[in-house]
Order: sequence, then structure tokens, then C-alpha cells
Amino acid sequence: MTQALQTIALGLLIGGVYALMAAGLTLVFGIMNIVNVAQGAFLVLIAMLTWKAWQLTGLDPILLALATTPLMFGLGWLLYRLVVVRVRGTTPAMSMLLTFGIALTIEGLLNLTAGNYFRSATPSYFAQSFHIGSIVLPKAQVYGCLAALLVLGLLYLVLNRTWTGRAIRATAQNPSGAALVGISASSVAALSFAIGTATAGTGGSILSVLYPFFPASHYEWIARLLGIIVLGGMGSLRGAWVGAIILGLAETITATYGSPRWATLVFYAVILLVLLVRPHGLFGTRLREDVAT
Amino acid sequence: MRDKPARVRLTALVAAVAMLVAGCTGSNQGGGSGPIVIGTSLPLTGQFSQPGGEAKRGYEIWRDKVNGTGGLLGRQIDLRVTDDASNQDTIIADYTKLITQDRVDLLLGSFSSLLNYAASAVAERNQMLYVEPAGGAPNMFTRGFKMLFFTQPATAPHHADGITAWVKSLPEAQRPKTAAFITQDDPFTRPAIDSLQKQLEEAGLRTTYTTIYPANTTNFQPIAGAIAAGAPDLVAQGAQFEDGIGAVRALQQVGFSPKVLFQTNAPGNGNQYSDGVGKAATEGVFYSTSWSENAKTPLNDEFAQEYRKRFNAPPTEDAADAFAAGQVLQEAVTKVGRIDQVALADWLRGNEVQTILGRLRWAANGEPQGNFMLAQWQAGKVEVVAPKEAATTEKVVFPKPAWP
Repeated sequence: MTQALQTIALGLLIGGVYALMAAGLTLVFGIMNIVNVAQGAFLVLIAMLTWKAWQLTGLDPILLALATTPLMFGLGWLLYRLVVVRVRGTTPAMSMLLTFGIALTIEGLLNLTAGNYFRSATPSYFAQSFHIGSIVLPKAQVYGCLAALLVLGLLYLVLNRTWTGRAIRATAQNPSGAALVGISASSVAALSFAIGTATAGTGGSILSVLYPFFPASHYEWIARLLGIIVLGGMGSLRGAWVGAIILGLAETITATYGSPRWATLVFYAVILLVLLVRPHGLFGTRLREDVAT
Repeated sequence: MRDKPARVRLTALVAAVAMLVAGCTGSNQGGGSGPIVIGTSLPLTGQFSQPGGEAKRGYEIWRDKVNGTGGLLGRQIDLRVTDDASNQDTIIADYTKLITQDRVDLLLGSFSSLLNYAASAVAERNQMLYVEPAGGAPNMFTRGFKMLFFTQPATAPHHADGITAWVKSLPEAQRPKTAAFITQDDPFTRPAIDSLQKQLEEAGLRTTYTTIYPANTTNFQPIAGAIAAGAPDLVAQGAQFEDGIGAVRALQQVGFSPKVLFQTNAPGNGNQYSDGVGKAATEGVFYSTSWSENAKTPLNDEFAQEYRKRFNAPPTEDAADAFAAGQVLQEAVTKVGRIDQVALADWLRGNEVQTILGRLRWAANGEPQGNFMLAQWQAGKVEVVAPKEAATTEKVVFPKPAWP
């Protein structure tokens, strides 16, 4: 019983962080039909910056998200205005090529500047745990999950309770309708892309504490994130949530009761099964409409 | 108008001839007085980019050392490094191109068993000597290859012999009684840990837990939990790098500290390892190593100093292994006196070579016949604890202190 609870608790904690990382990806796809394969590179970029800042100042890496998130928002906005806007309205393949190029550029720059080394931030609590009864909750994972939930909550509020959020959702549902009532498609697109990349700011800062990373780590992360949003339904925030939790649970449950060797396989087997029954993923049927639900 | 296609055809023909001629003049079958071209393809990007980058450093230090002291057979070395992106298909294409188009005089190997497995087959097919600084998986040497030589002291199944010998050297009452074995699903670490498990079971230890996890595993808490449940005295992990750090962290998080912790490769990464797990948590961790900065082998000091000067960091085992591969190639060419691939291979099969790792010699299949050293983290530094003649300290930290 304890082992089962322990396994589920760990799975949920990990799932929360995955959810945040996948949220930006699914949001950008839902609104703009762009598959941003650079999201993993953004995560690693921010993890590296967080690590450096933590080394220099000793500030808490997860709290550094307060700085890295706005930074990524700015970078996302700039990238959209300068580069991504040029592939808007072309096929998704073009946007994948472009963002893959961005990912390779980031990897290369990190290689040159930060060097090809594994890093990981190790604040005082990184190897400590909370003990609830006989259940162990690693502190880093708990803080990381809380930060992720906070940002996801804010994202939900922005999309559902503000005019900006409404404009974003309106554009997603019906671009020409939105344009007719005076919503500027290009500024909404820039804003959405910026919000999407901003989630990589928080995600990257959390990653720096949870896992060792190096410039080429982004392949592993983007594979995971794409898996999550395909399972959940591309474009659906709720889907990203559910997909992330399923991945977190699949990883820990398979590793505990089966063998870690099967963890990845089980997750992809779930994707395969879901796609057989629901080709759009779990929540992807109303692809464009349910972005923010 | 009509002569245009003809002219295009003519241009193409001339270009083709030019290329052919260039190809011919580029070919260099061991004679001549120009530089000796040595080709290699390393994983400079991707999964193995970390050891790949270190290998490049080791090769370059070796090249400059040779070129600074009169070159090889009186000729300068021109080292050509290509990037295989940690990909088996790419490395096959790279070595094929190096051999058939660039017509390099000599080859040096790549990093990781995975990549060397494919690359050494290309070299063998083309009858090119293949001296590799990594690639100790046992299945490298069961293919009957004649041109392959591995320049570390031993292959994977003997990687952990040192820890077994140390366990056996303990008085009966102090010996660990139980052990857990976990390893990455990797052609090098798996046979190393499998063989260690067999050896320790024969020595009377009871196995409480074993598992194999894939290379991309990031969450080690479930594994750490399962290890802790059996509370073994000894934990051995076939760890490349990230996974070694992940496991130590997770063991700390679940609050289980074994009396003996052995990891195959991860602790050999110096500062990167101690930064990753936290300096205090390194105390007492054992690992096997092919090289020690403090070893008194010829040129070792020079290599270490040059590395520190160039890269402003402590030298690494991977770079040292690459340097040693260069030394092996150099010794063979010097002794044979000409570049004749088969003669070079025959010479290596029959002779010992002194390197910064120590003296190396090989079985007929290119498998090295030496032993790794047993190293241990002590007070934030790496010390060699066995064998005696290479040891840098007589002290062994046992049992490992509890996590900080």
C-alpha cells in the first residue's frame, strides 16, 4: 500500500512539471498551428542560464523563474516578430523546419559558450525530502511541481479572465471573425508565441534543479513533450495536463512494478492505443475550440 | 543555341576529370613526404558529445606533441576530425568517406562501443588498422576482426574486477553480505555489471535487487526506492554519467546510504560529477578507471599539464584514453617504419606498448590484457586505491559515510 501511494505521489509530482513544459507547446499549436520543436531547446537554454545565475549569485534556481519567465516571454516575442512570422500561414512542415533550425542554433551556441558539459543546480535542498508517514516526497520535486502549478494557474486565469485571453481564444476559434471585431491577428499571434515560450522559462528553471542537462539534452525533452501533447490532443491545454500525468505515472509505476526498461515503451503503447480509438488524442476532437478549457 | 547543352556536357566532363585527378593526387599510400593524414569521426554533438569532445582534445594534444618533436616518420601529422553526431549511420558514412575519398593514411577510433562497433567494421572491410580509445563491449571482439585494437587496459567484463578483488581482500566479518546491481542498457556498462554480479555472487554475496534501465531514464526515485527496500550493503551501478548522478541523488532523497557504492564510469568525470551530486556526497564512492593524473607513466605529467594549460580544467580520463590511442598508433608506425596496415596490426599483436595509461598488450582479437585501477573519491578528490603499485593512498574509505 505504501509503495503504491509512494509511486503515485512521485508520478503526480513529475507529471505536474511535464504539464507545464508541454503547456506552451500545445498552446502555440492550438492557436497558431505551429509545432514549436524548439521548446526543448528553450528549456535547456533557460536551465543553463538559471544554473549560471545560481552559480554566480546563489539565488534559488526555482525562484529565478521570476526572472527567466519574463525573459523567455521577451525572447519569444522577438523571435516571432523577426522570424516565425515569416512561416505563418504556410504548412506546419515549414514551421517545424524553422523551429528545428532554432533548436540547433541554440544547441550550437550553448556548446560554444557554456561548453559541452553536464550541469545541474544543487541548492541545499536538492537531495532532501519531506516525509509524510512512510512516504518520501523529494523537496526539489515538490517545489518544482508547485511552481509549475502556479504558472499553469496563472495561464488559465489569463486565458479565461482577461480581454487578452479572450482575444487569444477568439483568434484560435475563428480568425476571420476575430479580425472583424477588431482583434489584430498579428499581435495576438506574437503574444501567444511569447506566452508559449514563457512557460519554458519556468520549466527550464525547474529542470536545472531536477535533472542534469547539457546542450544536446533538448532532443530527449522535445520527444517527451511531443508525446504528451499527441496523447492529450494537440492544441488542448487539458490534454497536455492529462498526457503529462499519464506519462509521469507510466514512468514511475512501470519502473516500480515492472522494469524501468519498459517505462518509455508503456507510455508510447498508451499513445498508440489512444490514437487507434481517438485519432485526435484524448481531448483533441475540437482541436481549435478547447484551447483554454 | 544548339551548342549550349554540349558545352554544359563538356564542362561536366572536365569537372569530372578534374575531380578524378584530384582524387588520385590526394591518394597517399604511405609513401611521399607530405603530411601523414589521420582520419577520425567523433561524436562531437548528440548523446556522446561529452566524451567525444574530450577525445578530440586528447587527439589534438597528441598530434601537437608529435608534430613538435619531429613528426611521425619525419612527416607532420594532419588530423582530420569529422562529427558523427553520435549516430551509427553517420559514422559509417564518415569512415567510408575518410577511407575511400579522402584516402587518409591512418585511422583513429571513435568513442562509445555503440559507434566503434559500426566504424570498426568499415575499417576491417577496407583493411585499415583501427586503434580505438573506447569501445570495450565484449561483442566488439567476437567478430574475428584482425585490424581492431582497443587501447584501454581491459574490456567491459573485466572493468569491475578491482572492486571484487577489494571485497575479497576484506576480513570475512567485515565483508558486505548483500548487494544490489543496476545498470544502464548500454553495450559497455551491462556486461561490466553482469560480470561483477557473477563475481560477487561467487564470493558469497546475496543479490537483493537487479534492474536494467534505458539510457534516457531521468527519474531514479522508483529504482532508489526498490534498492532501499532490500537494504543491501553494496550497491553497484553501470552508470555512464547522468544516470550516475540521478541515482545518487535519488538514494539521498529516499534516505538510503549503502556501505559500499560502486559506479562504473560516472565518478570519473571529476568536477562535473562532484558538482552534480554535491561534493560531500562523493565521499567513499568507488569506480574503475583506466587512467590517473598521478600515475608516474612516461609523458603523463606532460599530458596533464598541457591539458590544464589549454583548457583550464582538470584533465579527464576520456582525453587521456584518446592520447594513449595516439601513442599506440605512433609506436606501431615508428617500429614498423612504414605505413602498411596489415604489418602494423601484426606488430601490435606481438608487442607491448608503453602509454600514459601504463603498458598495453593485446590478444589476437585486439582485446587488451591488462587491469583497470580501482579509484575512490576521498575528501573531494580522486585517489587510486588499487592495485598497490599504482595506488596514490593506502587509505580506503569503508564503510561509506552516510549521506550529508
